Amino acid sequence: MSEDIQLLIDDVVAKALAGDMDPINNIEDRVTRSKAKAALVKAKRSQPKTEIKSNASENSDVKAKDTIEQVVIASLSKNFSNFLDGEQNGEWIQIKAENWFEIAKHLKENENLYFDSLQCNTGFDLEGGMLESRYNLHSMKHLHAIEIRIKVSIENPDIPSVESLWRVADWFERETYDMFGINFTGHRDLRRILLPEDWEGWPLRKNYEEQETYHGIVVPKVKEGWE
Amino acid sequence: MGVVHGQEMVLNIGPQHPATHGVLRLQVKTDGEVISEITPYLGYLHRCFEKHCENVTYEQVIPFTDRCDYLASMTMNFGYVVAVEKLMDIKVNDRVQHIRVIMAELQRIASHLLATGVFGLDLGAFTPFLHMLRDRERIIDLFEMTCGARLLYNYMWVGGLSHDLPKGFVEATLNFLDYFEPKIDEFENLLGHNKIFVERTADIGIMPAEVAINFGVTGPNLRASGVNWDLRKDDPYSIYDKFDFNVPVGQGIKGTVGDSWDRFYVRLQEIRESVKIVRQALDQLPKDGDVHQSMPKKIRPPKGSIYSRTESPRGDLGYYIESDGSDTPSRLKMRSPAFTALGVLDEIAGGWLMSDVLAILGSLDIVLGEIDR
Amino acid sequence: MGLLENRFDDNIVVEKLDKLLSWARSTSPWFFQFGTACCAIEMMAAAASRHDLMRIGIIPRSSPRQADVMIVAGTVTMKMALRVKKLYEQMADPKYVVAMGSCATSGGPYWQHGYHVLKGVDLVIPVDVYVPGCPPRPEALIEGLLKLQEQILEGRPLTRKTG
Ligand code: SF4
Repeated sequence: MSEDIQLLIDDVVAKALAGDMDPINNIEDRVTRSKAKAALVKAKRSQPKTEIKSNASENSDVKAKDTIEQVVIASLSKNFSNFLDGEQNGEWIQIKAENWFEIAKHLKENENLYFDSLQCNTGFDLEGGMLESRYNLHSMKHLHAIEIRIKVSIENPDIPSVESLWRVADWFERETYDMFGINFTGHRDLRRILLPEDWEGWPLRKNYEEQETYHGIVVPKVKEGWE
Repeated sequence: MGVVHGQEMVLNIGPQHPATHGVLRLQVKTDGEVISEITPYLGYLHRCFEKHCENVTYEQVIPFTDRCDYLASMTMNFGYVVAVEKLMDIKVNDRVQHIRVIMAELQRIASHLLATGVFGLDLGAFTPFLHMLRDRERIIDLFEMTCGARLLYNYMWVGGLSHDLPKGFVEATLNFLDYFEPKIDEFENLLGHNKIFVERTADIGIMPAEVAINFGVTGPNLRASGVNWDLRKDDPYSIYDKFDFNVPVGQGIKGTVGDSWDRFYVRLQEIRESVKIVRQALDQLPKDGDVHQSMPKKIRPPKGSIYSRTESPRGDLGYYIESDGSDTPSRLKMRSPAFTALGVLDEIAGGWLMSDVLAILGSLDIVLGEIDR
Repeated sequence: MGLLENRFDDNIVVEKLDKLLSWARSTSPWFFQFGTACCAIEMMAAAASRHDLMRIGIIPRSSPRQADVMIVAGTVTMKMALRVKKLYEQMADPKYVVAMGSCATSGGPYWQHGYHVLKGVDLVIPVDVYVPGCPPRPEALIEGLLKLQEQILEGRPLTRKTG
């Protein structure tokens, strides 16, 4: 490592420790960037108090008697209006598709919620012309988890993508798209991920019919007509 | 440090390539020897796991979970039965819990042995691979003794186990552990402190902690980045809170925290911890208790959904199950740890040399069956 | 020539060369390790310590160009099927195929709902030996390979088949 790169790294790490992550993220060269991030981790580890996990009970806003769903809804209604979709049953939060990106951003960045990891994204075919996308979020800091559900119609299955918030959503959303045909708007590269590009249909929808042949190879299980 | 930019070259690795651990295709864009971008193409082993789950009953799902991660079938079974038991609110007795933990930890040892062995193989070290496979065979003998299968066990059932432990299992396992423990040091010396191996892995493919969290990387890969996160400790399921073990994290002994060598070393340390857990579990194993005691006659979970996760050798293994009250799941999604681990490859491998790609890929320990499902 | 007289059938030269060739082939079938899924692990176990395939002259190769036998170990999917065919075509003659496991034989556990699974690799390439099992034990694979050796031994590469 040459000297000025080391200087650059020291500089951005100092800035990041002060809370400004932009200089690190703006480094053009990927090698230098990953080195800088690694250095940041080292620096953070040597600081005693910035632990990744902290105790949930220290937090004043999360009261013990409210369930996490109530806390989340309360926190969201301060910033958004009319975001809930239909009735809630307390085990998950059903929201409308429009503001999903902003809501997700709030969920991730709010200090008291801090859902830093997107555990799982599941598609679901509700039948009767509705599709659903479900997100299981978890906070490694506060150790709490919620489930968010978003319903869309099968004719117009558009949901804002959250892939730029949680990069793990990149592949999750591609998979959901691949299996259900839910269209995540704003995704950087929405292609089929598991099935071949020229596959027909959305396999996990309940009314899915297998295609007859794929590139001349017979697909269905019935052995008739194979020879 | 001047940089010469040459012409961009696109290189294709796989889908049939000995170092991709199965059928994975990587499209690598390089500038000379330096990698600028990697695009993984998956799905060459997409076996429609989730479609099958919607068409078979809850019991019949278990063999399919085996086949997803074929290197750690026991822990795949474990995760699934834990999820269904939570959904149906079944409590299983202590003997079953202990046997499950023993099996899961032996499986973790076997899986990590293969992972580290193949990692060495990717870098050209053939001997450690043979040594590790030799010891893995002994673990497999223990499994075979228990349930008759070598690779895909279908051993843990909802509410119990398919068989009780056979006679002589405890002694055989203790024998194995006595034989195996000194071998771990041998592996460490054979591979971990090997000059060539260190040169090729230390400081290569560094994964900073926040990148790992943002990309959803879990398991040993996350711990190697210095994050102390293990579901067995942080969100204990089954009876893991009864045991005393440490969570090894990457310390950057040979290079930077979160490099490929750390990922290798964390796995090796986890083998030691698993040995500890198995010893404790064998020690505390209750003498009586029927392994079929709490098995329901018919598995029909109440309406509702659950997301439950357990720690597989590759990380957070999550099952999302939606039940409509019938005996087949109406949706079952597996959140596979290797899927997210592969997703980070482009981020951490960019900028390194061509020859490092396979080192980094090997250090992530992916299993294609679980990625493509 | 008294020694050999009346001891052999007609066509003595062709017959013997044929035999020599197939004998030579049968004892060194290098295999192309084409593992796709769970069965590949058992194939690895068969090639590694304890079962040690090399003792019967069977050596793993990573390139189709250097191999005589292709062991298709594991599930073949639609996305993979065309590649399998291409890999088979890349192998030099004479070439043989062993379908290992029930997936490669017939689609295995995925025969019914597996929309993306090829129901048997024999739909795209010809197969010589089928090894059933899910997964077959390494011993079963070795048995299959011995059967293949027998088959090669009986083959007559120089005699043109009619009909
Ligand atoms: S036959 Fe069984 S073990 Fe072999 S690849 Fe298929 S599912 Fe896996």
